[in-house]
Amino acid sequence: MSTRESDVKERPACTTTNLSNYHWSDPPDENKWADCVHCGMCLESCPTYELTGQEQHSPRGRVHLIKSVAEGKIEVNEQFMDPVFACLDCRACTTACPADVDVGGLIEEARGQIRKAMPLTGYRKTVSNFFLHSLFPHQNRLNTVGGLLKFYQKSGMQKVVRKTGLLKVMPDHLAEMERIMPVLTKPVRQKYKNQNVIKAKGETKHEVSFLTGCVMDVMFSDINDATINVLTRNGNDVVIPQNQTCCGALHVHAGDREMGRKLAKQNIEAFNDAEKIIVNAAGCGCMMKEYAELFREEPEWHEKALAFSAKVEDVSKYLHDTGYEKPQAEINTRITYHDACHLAHGQGVRQEPRNILLDIPGVEMVHMPNADRCCGSAGIYNITNPEMAGAVLESKMENVPDDVEMISMGNPGCMLQMAMGVQKYGRNQKIVHTVQLLDWAYQKEDGLRGQE
Amino acid sequence: MGRKGLKTKDKHIKNLAKIVGDRSILHHKEDLLAYDCDGFTIHKYLPKAVVFPKDTQEVARLVNYCSDNGLPFLARGAGTGLSGGAIPVNGEVVISLVKMKKLLSVDYENRRAVVEPGFVNLKLTNSISDKGYYYAPDPSSQYCCTIGGNVAENAGGAHCLKYGVTTNHILGLEVVLPNGEIIEIGNNGVPDAPGYDLLGLITGSEGTLGIVTKITVRILKNPEAKQTVLAYFNDVSDGSHAVSDIISAGIVPAALEMMDKTAIEGVEAAAFPVGHPRDIEALLLIEVDGISAGIDEQISQILDVCKNRNVREVKVAQDEAERARWWANRKTGFGAMGAISPDYLVQDGVIPRSRLPEVLNRINQISEESGLRIANIFHAGDGNLHPLVLFDARIPGQTELAIAAGSACLQACADVGGTITGEHGVGIEKREEMRFVFTDEEIQAQTDIREVFNPGNLLNAGKLFPSPGRCAEVKKEIKEAAL
Repeated sequence: MSTRESDVKERPACTTTNLSNYHWSDPPDENKWADCVHCGMCLESCPTYELTGQEQHSPRGRVHLIKSVAEGKIEVNEQFMDPVFACLDCRACTTACPADVDVGGLIEEARGQIRKAMPLTGYRKTVSNFFLHSLFPHQNRLNTVGGLLKFYQKSGMQKVVRKTGLLKVMPDHLAEMERIMPVLTKPVRQKYKNQNVIKAKGETKHEVSFLTGCVMDVMFSDINDATINVLTRNGNDVVIPQNQTCCGALHVHAGDREMGRKLAKQNIEAFNDAEKIIVNAAGCGCMMKEYAELFREEPEWHEKALAFSAKVEDVSKYLHDTGYEKPQAEINTRITYHDACHLAHGQGVRQEPRNILLDIPGVEMVHMPNADRCCGSAGIYNITNPEMAGAVLESKMENVPDDVEMISMGNPGCMLQMAMGVQKYGRNQKIVHTVQLLDWAYQKEDGLRGQE
Repeated sequence: MGRKGLKTKDKHIKNLAKIVGDRSILHHKEDLLAYDCDGFTIHKYLPKAVVFPKDTQEVARLVNYCSDNGLPFLARGAGTGLSGGAIPVNGEVVISLVKMKKLLSVDYENRRAVVEPGFVNLKLTNSISDKGYYYAPDPSSQYCCTIGGNVAENAGGAHCLKYGVTTNHILGLEVVLPNGEIIEIGNNGVPDAPGYDLLGLITGSEGTLGIVTKITVRILKNPEAKQTVLAYFNDVSDGSHAVSDIISAGIVPAALEMMDKTAIEGVEAAAFPVGHPRDIEALLLIEVDGISAGIDEQISQILDVCKNRNVREVKVAQDEAERARWWANRKTGFGAMGAISPDYLVQDGVIPRSRLPEVLNRINQISEESGLRIANIFHAGDGNLHPLVLFDARIPGQTELAIAAGSACLQACADVGGTITGEHGVGIEKREEMRFVFTDEEIQAQTDIREVFNPGNLLNAGKLFPSPGRCAEVKKEIKEAAL
């Protein structure tokens, strides 16, 4: 059999029809995919395309599929779900795209439709509900878990578990996570519970409100402490609104937009009086800058969300823009910087944290190739897609320079993932948050003054 | 990552999977949709399957299987082609070469490198730049397009004015022929082998003669110095004349690019704006490179030419960062059209440089007649035009209108002694327009050559040549039937 040119049948170019297979409210936004001309400039930026070489796992492929559902060519089903949920939501494609196509927004909207069409069942539902509904939005429960984890660490149980090999019966990626669990301290929201304002050291120049984060405050309260120290040292009164809650990023990533909206509304109200909302977790900051996206069908909240988002700022950018005291004490260390996706691609914050690190005397910065490549953490992606996350992490770790002592970054998810990378690949770098390093420099300076 | 288990009853899918493995084949409609077009989006067709071979042997086995079983097939790289060369118009088995993406060797002494077809163009330069070398052909999609695809399309780029297009940089090829045979041509990069120039024949054959599985390319030493000029004009024809004047002055710029007002609106609305004034009618981006001595003189000559042609503002890039910003703005130009139009169709005509003003006028007329905006971003130095017809496929009739306008632009190029493609290839897009520049006999002479390599026409059928009808091929078929 041979195929002749005469066999080629022309078909009309596709047109968008009203045959959409998105049957629920808040569907992917036609205007977002209308920007995509399928040029392919996004391909190489995408970690999942790099690993699979398959275009349904590329940004333009995903956009094409999302559009195809609206055109009635395919259904919202398992096959569609796979590429949409395999996206890391790292936004590297947004940086690469010549036409600024909001791929991340489309993915999140599509996930919302998938979750409506195919609600989770069984084990996955239980796990998802436990984390997203019963745990993250409830600070008291998180604190309880934090308490248990602390007990686990301090009671010697961690040692026992590690020694007995109990970890070996856990799935590999969960066992890896246990190994890198940070040592927990008291959450700042508990610590400053009865304090309306944490006063600036010295003269007050600004007042800022602080999002402590849900998991952040339990797992990384030391970073929250460092953030407060750094802010107050630089003339900021810090307010921690007690009604604040989880930012909702993990929910929105998982397609649970209802819960995302609920949390967003609570935060918009909780921070109503704030002039500036400081965030030290890139993922949360990025989500909070995009709240309006959740309220496309609620004009009143859409307005409020826009006003709210305009006040949100990453701590490194805030310090950079408002000025900060250059530390005097030396921290002699070789360090490299990893761009958290939701800081670099999501918020365009790249140089500010690097400048802060460079301003610390004694710090020697070593360039990490592809520093803005995702580490594979991507919210809870490393729990839901361990295989892909592991492969992404492996290529990330290959880029970490050999001779550095620390890797600095601005996002807790990345910190856990990179710590896992260090552990898994036998490296020895310490993982630090940018403001932690600045705080240590200040503390060292104060310590030296004390000795004089 | 591929799903576990094949879940199919199709025997061909099962057999193809035996060659590449279950995880290296796609056959579900949802996945195949991502392969229903390439950078040319007007026509879409679903492939039968997409397979991802990891080496030449697997490619040969796939090709063998397809040809034994009469399955149409074609090769695909990153799918950034702009003429539809990788679109499976016959429901082909798509052989994706993106997993064959290794840089196999670099031979600095003899200035050559060997790459697999899925290796990304820009990665070659990035891999050898620390030694002071680069790979010259730089299509605007070089961030992601593959060198295999560049060979198929004989890709050009902004810097091809001085350095030549892909074919000038190919020293050797390993090719899997449509019968599964693996051949090597090019004599290991020793220049001027006796016999027919098969390298030249394969390069630019748009994937209709064989599948390239290994490529030896020429690499060049970085120029000692480089200067870039940006010039703004109030009048398109002043800009066009400046282009001719620069070449007439004896300067061979590395690149000489032009953008018109609509194009500037697009790039400035998109992700990499430079801050070009919005009220100018044209800009030129001019780069000269070479040994340091003489560069300044060339630049001052260029500045003089621009001034004589009533330039509004002209400036030299102050540092590498500024130069990079100008180029990012230019190189992402096509994609940037997404910011001002839901769809675009880019044409690729070539004209004698001296006819630039009149052809641009004609394109302007076509735009007015069709009611569609046409942006122009192009390699002015070698007369390679890229009219970008802006349209909205959601509006009934607009797609057809855009296709007609694009075709009219090519007719305008052919009318002044030019041709219909400079670097994007014919693909499915410009098949009919081949008649603007070739007679039936000339087309048949070319399909005869194809017959030698690809007698069953299973490999990438329906590309490059007009469908029969009025064409000689039909006459031939009738003759064969009569015999």
